[in-house]
Amino acid sequence: MSSPADTPQRSWRPSTAVRSAVAGERIDLATLLRRRVIFVVGKGGTGRSTMTAALALLAARAGKRVLAIDVDAKGDLAAALGSPPAGFAPRVVQHNLSVLELRTDESFQEYLNIYFKVPRVTRLTPLARVFDFIATGVPGPRDMLVVGKIAYEERRKEAGSGSPVWDLILVDCAAGGQAESHLAAPKAMLTLVRGGLIRAQVEWIDALIRDPRRTTTVLCALPEEMPVVEAIELHERLRRGSGVAVDLCLLNRAADEPVTASHRRLMSAMTESEHADAVSERLGGSPRPLEAGVDLQAHLYDTTARYLRQLRTKLSMPVVPVPFIVDRTGLTTTRAVADALNGRLS
Amino acid sequence: MTAGENVTVRERRRSPRSEPAGLGRRLGSLDVVICCGSGGVGKTTVSAALGMAIAAAEDKRVLVLTVDPARRLATALGIKGIGAEPVRIPKARLRRAGITIAGDLEAAMLDMKQAWDRMIERYSPDRATAQRILRNPLYQRITDSFVGSHEYAAIEALYELHDAGEYDCIVVDTPPSRNALDFLEAPSRLTDYVGSRLLSLLSGGPSRFGFRAMNFAAAPFLRLADRLLGAEVLAEVSDFVRQLQLLYDGIQGRARSVYRLLRSPQTGFVVVTTLEQGPFTEAEFFCTKLREFKMPLRAMVVNRVLPEVFRDPGGVAAATTLVEDSKVAKWLSDELHVRVAAETARFVGSIFLTRNTLANRETRQLAKLGRIGDVPVVRIPLFSEEVSELEGLVRIAKAL
Repeated sequence: MSSPADTPQRSWRPSTAVRSAVAGERIDLATLLRRRVIFVVGKGGTGRSTMTAALALLAARAGKRVLAIDVDAKGDLAAALGSPPAGFAPRVVQHNLSVLELRTDESFQEYLNIYFKVPRVTRLTPLARVFDFIATGVPGPRDMLVVGKIAYEERRKEAGSGSPVWDLILVDCAAGGQAESHLAAPKAMLTLVRGGLIRAQVEWIDALIRDPRRTTTVLCALPEEMPVVEAIELHERLRRGSGVAVDLCLLNRAADEPVTASHRRLMSAMTESEHADAVSERLGGSPRPLEAGVDLQAHLYDTTARYLRQLRTKLSMPVVPVPFIVDRTGLTTTRAVADALNGRLS
Repeated sequence: MTAGENVTVRERRRSPRSEPAGLGRRLGSLDVVICCGSGGVGKTTVSAALGMAIAAAEDKRVLVLTVDPARRLATALGIKGIGAEPVRIPKARLRRAGITIAGDLEAAMLDMKQAWDRMIERYSPDRATAQRILRNPLYQRITDSFVGSHEYAAIEALYELHDAGEYDCIVVDTPPSRNALDFLEAPSRLTDYVGSRLLSLLSGGPSRFGFRAMNFAAAPFLRLADRLLGAEVLAEVSDFVRQLQLLYDGIQGRARSVYRLLRSPQTGFVVVTTLEQGPFTEAEFFCTKLREFKMPLRAMVVNRVLPEVFRDPGGVAAATTLVEDSKVAKWLSDELHVRVAAETARFVGSIFLTRNTLANRETRQLAKLGRIGDVPVVRIPLFSEEVSELEGLVRIAKAL
């Protein structure tokens, strides 16, 4: 395994032409999954973990060796893949698919171990605490641990063949603002750290994040006011702050099946008083409560459509609605979402 | 099927709530009402509606302090925008929307940066110290990244407003944190942070060769930190830390007063949640913590509850037939003299069954609410129109 610190340093800055070409591309699933690293971001409750897990399943099905990283380390991602909480070491949860959960303490120890050959010893604790303090004040280091670990996994090579260990790394980012500071960390670090051994690492990590051919972001939103507003604002800040590409927006829990005139016609005919008794008998119950379902669906469809329009106007990328899946268990839901994504992104 | 003739979502809305005593009156006697809960549960909307309900029930001057820059909330309240300066919500506008308020209702938005700057100025022993901190490049970053910094700013602003005594009742919408507990822990965490021994260690300051006045054991570690980060960063951190320590006494004293206010019998916490697994679990946890912190939980507001009609057994039977019986579309066509496609019948049934699944899940969650102890639980039904207009807010206020 070659240390990333040994590889040649060349800060890759894509030209404006390349960046806009990549940004304007109508991304399909195959193109998306050809990236090396995909960050999945969005406000809490927008289904980030499920989306990350679904994309991971699709990539693994396509024969890629996939690593899914949970930055929040609440165990949501592992659960969405039908597995108990994973640890800091990648664990295989499906064919071709491993999960890893990031925690700062362990990240820090491994970071020192990887980059500075500092052995993992318990005596590190006082240093870890000093570092933790500095990390609270200086935004870079803590976030760098997260981004650094991801970048390290991206560079890992098989011992024998020298080919990459992972074809694709999917990152279930922490909620909104935190993801932003993770992604902006290398840039912030470059302005803060003018010397020290860290700088060299920071430079290649920064280059990885800013390379739209290798790294992209998927934005998750819900058809509600604040999640939509926040997705638009997050997109803006991500592009300006970290320079990471954002290629796709997934609108989760979309009600994208409209209520049509024929549904309404059926509903009113069934509840007309002259048919009511016969219909109730044939159906085994009165159809009257179903009207509430039709009303709610019509409302949710309108809401979804409105927010889809808003997102499509404000974001220069495909916005894909993902239907609300009501299954209970993690993996069943994830599989259903994966199928929906597969259908809508091909 | 037993439900009456006109059971629709609309009708159900007017049916009596499970909690007949108005929350407006119950909370109206308090000085401070703090709305907590995880992000995305409609906390801001509920806070505004709660302020409205209190102003309707009591002849009081009520301020809603929001942290959420939701422009539509401002629109909904009938004002242009919500800024740091409180804005009065016109009574006439409220009356037109169907609610008459006895008191006064105002709204303001928390200005995070301003709250922090004022705090530094207040606790600094002199102007020069304050200026040095405010100018330090790390200062802004710290106020952004420090866990609980937004929460702390919110508490500070609340404390100041309460202290000024201009309002009879202040309703606070807490910041959308990952962990609602951050709000409760913010004051002590800040005290710990500023007073930590590591800070004392660091404020010795680095020399050209790394850290100078260092105890023997710590030295090698700091040398390594120095190597990792570069000496300049450490110098900046160290300088910042030295300044910050001068504020310790002030911050510690204030943290104590703030906790006194949060534990006061004149303060009430309202936990807002939906019945989704994530927010619900967090709300339960938060209620337990409130008890642990000896802070008074006054009510729980369960937002966006699916109407009862989605649990109707007759409806479920009818919907199931529409989905599963392949001959039903043909039968309906003959009976109703309307052409009914199989897909049309299936769709009408399936959208009901989806909501029924969710409604049943919600019922199981609601049953767990008993565990939080003896506090009023108010359910706000999921309305078939989005709450963006004042009428929507009024409807929630009335539900409260």
